[in-house]
Amino acid sequence: MKKLLTGFAGATVIMAALGVGIAKADDIVVGFATASSGFMQAYDKPAQDAAMIRIDEINKAGGLLGKQIKTVAADTKTDRAEGAKAGLEVIDKGASLVVVSCDYDFGAPAALAAEAAGKVSFFLCAESIKAGIQGVGPHSFSASVLAAVQGATMAEWSYNKKKARTFYRLLDTWTEYNKGICDGFDWMLPKLKDAKLLGQDTFKNEDTSIAAQITRIKSLPQQPDAIMLCSMMPGVVSAVKQIRAAGIKSMILNGSGVSGGYWLNATPDLSDFYVPDQGSVYGDDPNSAVNDFNKKYKAATGGEPSSQYVYPGYVMIDVWAKAVERAKSTDADAVVKELEKMKDEKTLFGPRTFTSTLHHQNRGRYLITEVKNGKPGVVDEWTISEAIPVEYLMKK
Amino acid sequence: MTALLQILFDALSLGSLYALAAIGIALIFGVMRLVNFAHGDYISFCVFALLWPSIEATAFVFAGQLPPYLLIPVILTVGACLSMLSEILVFRRFRNANPATMMIASFALGFVIKYTLLMLFSSRPKSIDLWPSLSLPVEIFDARIPLLQVITIVITIVILIALVAFLKRTRFGLEMRAAAENFTMARMLGVRANAVILLAFAISGMLAASIGLILVTQTGTVDIQMGSSVMLVAFIATVIGGLGSLPGAVVAGFLIGGVSVLMQVILPFDIRPFRDAFVYGAVIAVLIWRPNGLFMPRSAKQRV
Amino acid sequence: MTHRPSIFLRSLSTPLILILVLVAFLALATFMNSGPFNQVVIDGLVKVTLVVGLYVFIGNSGVLSFGHIGFTCLGAYATAWLTIPPLMKKMALPGLPEFILEAKLPYGLGIGFGALFAGAFALVVGKILMRLSGIAASIATFAMLAVINTVYSNWERVTGATSSVVGIPIVRVVWPYCLAAVVSIVIAHLYAISRSGLALRAARDEAIAASASGVDIGRERLIAFVISAVITGMGGALSAHSVGVVTPDTFYLNLTFICLSMLVVGGMNSLSGAVMGVVVLSVIIQVLRQFEKGVSLGGTVVSIPNGLQEIAIGIVMVVILIARPTGLTRNQEIVWQGWPFKRVSAATEP
Repeated sequence: MKKLLTGFAGATVIMAALGVGIAKADDIVVGFATASSGFMQAYDKPAQDAAMIRIDEINKAGGLLGKQIKTVAADTKTDRAEGAKAGLEVIDKGASLVVVSCDYDFGAPAALAAEAAGKVSFFLCAESIKAGIQGVGPHSFSASVLAAVQGATMAEWSYNKKKARTFYRLLDTWTEYNKGICDGFDWMLPKLKDAKLLGQDTFKNEDTSIAAQITRIKSLPQQPDAIMLCSMMPGVVSAVKQIRAAGIKSMILNGSGVSGGYWLNATPDLSDFYVPDQGSVYGDDPNSAVNDFNKKYKAATGGEPSSQYVYPGYVMIDVWAKAVERAKSTDADAVVKELEKMKDEKTLFGPRTFTSTLHHQNRGRYLITEVKNGKPGVVDEWTISEAIPVEYLMKK
Repeated sequence: MTALLQILFDALSLGSLYALAAIGIALIFGVMRLVNFAHGDYISFCVFALLWPSIEATAFVFAGQLPPYLLIPVILTVGACLSMLSEILVFRRFRNANPATMMIASFALGFVIKYTLLMLFSSRPKSIDLWPSLSLPVEIFDARIPLLQVITIVITIVILIALVAFLKRTRFGLEMRAAAENFTMARMLGVRANAVILLAFAISGMLAASIGLILVTQTGTVDIQMGSSVMLVAFIATVIGGLGSLPGAVVAGFLIGGVSVLMQVILPFDIRPFRDAFVYGAVIAVLIWRPNGLFMPRSAKQRV
Repeated sequence: MTHRPSIFLRSLSTPLILILVLVAFLALATFMNSGPFNQVVIDGLVKVTLVVGLYVFIGNSGVLSFGHIGFTCLGAYATAWLTIPPLMKKMALPGLPEFILEAKLPYGLGIGFGALFAGAFALVVGKILMRLSGIAASIATFAMLAVINTVYSNWERVTGATSSVVGIPIVRVVWPYCLAAVVSIVIAHLYAISRSGLALRAARDEAIAASASGVDIGRERLIAFVISAVITGMGGALSAHSVGVVTPDTFYLNLTFICLSMLVVGGMNSLSGAVMGVVVLSVIIQVLRQFEKGVSLGGTVVSIPNGLQEIAIGIVMVVILIARPTGLTRNQEIVWQGWPFKRVSAATEP
């Protein structure tokens, strides 16, 4: 037992001795408290790569306020307790911007650590209203667009452009993101004249079979024009496959969670399937600058962007750097003030607006991607007619 | 009527999956009192064996391109080998350990398998279209039922019959049943303990592989987590059925599948998300009613 | 017959040594004064509380429970309900009863109520579940965990469903966690040497004999179940304050297995095993993590790929269990009998 005790005492001393590095005082430090292992790694890494591209561009163009941007990183291991540690670690290393995990649930602990230290934090691509003032505090932002906007966009677009009148709502109760999509859909639907909800159902992402849910759709007296499918990877693929296998031909509306063509080989003949995208990863974006970015991304990482969730990383550094330039300082309060002045600020992937009540997008331009015979391509573009009120989103 | 038939098929096909997984667990439990928590990870591993390791988002289908008559034996072999390997490397060293220790060892093993897959393939679920023709619906009495559902049910029945024949008609089967009944006694009577256990692992691994193939055909997804939810339900089914009882495991597997589907159908919309709470509540009720399971094997009788 | 000191005095050294180990960590953290390291120690102390809680039931009754993390969940949410500023609560959790909505307790009280809430729940559920024994009891506790998880993941207006509940005051000083871990060790030890604890362990080892000697196994089990629920509930409340966020899926299978592994690797039938399991595995994990970041050894930086830590810890666990199937402490307690330490079998002496 003595051996055991000395053993662990020794190990602790080793741990303690491996201290933390300290950044040079004249650099601006961006800290990434993101996952470089575990489940979230596949989602954090691409957005982080995109952020690095923007940082590189800024550094090559002379830096920010005449200083170079330096980055430090700590691994959250896709674990909340580790996330809090990672947040504290990058703050310790002098980060004036703390970038946290893509997902709200996994990013929040690090963001809360940043908030407590009075630092600006940015979620890489969280799409819940809580990723910001409402959930973390006045110094927290998200670079993406609210999930509800995606649901609302799909409802309004399909109503106007595809003449969809009857809808069915299928919700995967696994995550807040999924519920967010359906919340947006629920908000938009009553505003569409003559649009009718034929029915609704829920499933769980991990359900191996959604046969019972499908049977319910099939026993409707009339098949819906469109199914609003509020779900995400991996369960959504299974759901889509089973829906089509059962012979249901209604068009399927989705959130951005299914963006990207990487999963389509599971459903080779998929058609009438619509996805909102902030930018096109298929090389057919109406804005050629996006296609240039894709090339840059490929050069930096060796692969094309796999989904639109790469883009918010780039937007994040872009808007933050602009705010720092305008504030002429990295002081958190000054930067937040400048960010909150942004109204329809142009970025490569749609405009961004921040206000003193919302550090997120409750309205946004989306490209509409259609999957036809298993091939995705941009077919349209849509911005919802009015912003989703913050009060509505908070009640949800 | 049509709807009823459809619901019946939904319940049977989900139940089949659970039953197959439950037998895999019950077999091992029968011969060595091990609740193998790595079973779910065997399922995932077999599915990933269809792909070539890469952390790209797009799946690089490798073994999955083989024709079915080659692919099925290959994947079954992968499952059997992985399962036997884990017995030889890990479980063999726990012959006299207490069940909790073995359970945690199996969990640790599953952890290693899962994170190895994670490193090789990344956590992003991958997509693969295996045997697309099976996803087409067929008409049975006016009900349009996905062919795969029918096949799943048929395969399960075939596997069950084969297993029963094996256990009843062959020497190994006899030894395995003897070992499940009373391991020490069987050993004294000349049953080759290690060989029997190894064989049980091989069969269990093949069962895991077949579940993997069914799951991937049905969902089109290859995911690290895909085995674990099936495995959990199967574990519960094994206990409700009466630990170590193979028929019990099968019946309980079908029962849980049936109850899940039924709950999804009858619960009103607002309560439907709570479906699993009702299913697990039912599990507690069954346990209180029959603590030793629906089919208690003679070996499991407790005196207190 | 020589006079033997009371069981209390004879066994006193075990909790004292364990507490000293924890206090050593507290001292180290105070000395280091680094945010991330503090958090590492806090995390370890929360785990100690949870695993000690698990030990009180599993170690004494011999019934493996998969359900205790459910109590952790109850404790964490209870403190969240009581300590979040009322304004935020009214937005996020409008379904709470009025008196809870208006409450804004200090974190210490929140943790206390969290522990009590978990205990009260365990008393009700335990009345039903403790009739079972063996694997049926294990599965029933797991089913309880699944029910708690499903309810908390979907009860939108009271638990916020799957969304993270925020606004919980974050406590980043180490001593409250250390205090809680010490308290849980003291409770666990006192229970182990109590009449009920002795009876339950007798029933664990010789059910029939104990039963024949008049031990009401169900009742003793229920007592252990409730006490362990109080401790794991407290651990849950602590974890809520250490991170500042609660979600139902934090308190599900992963945490269950991690805690069980720590207990079994340490030695599930002894309090020393519970504490040492956490300490040893946590230290190994931290060392591996440092290697993931890169460690400079003699001028060259040695590092292992990200994600290898999890694989390595799995292998380490299997190897430890192969070498010591009854855990690092061989199911025995550490006692002070002059230098060096000596172990006593937990079965004969608590």
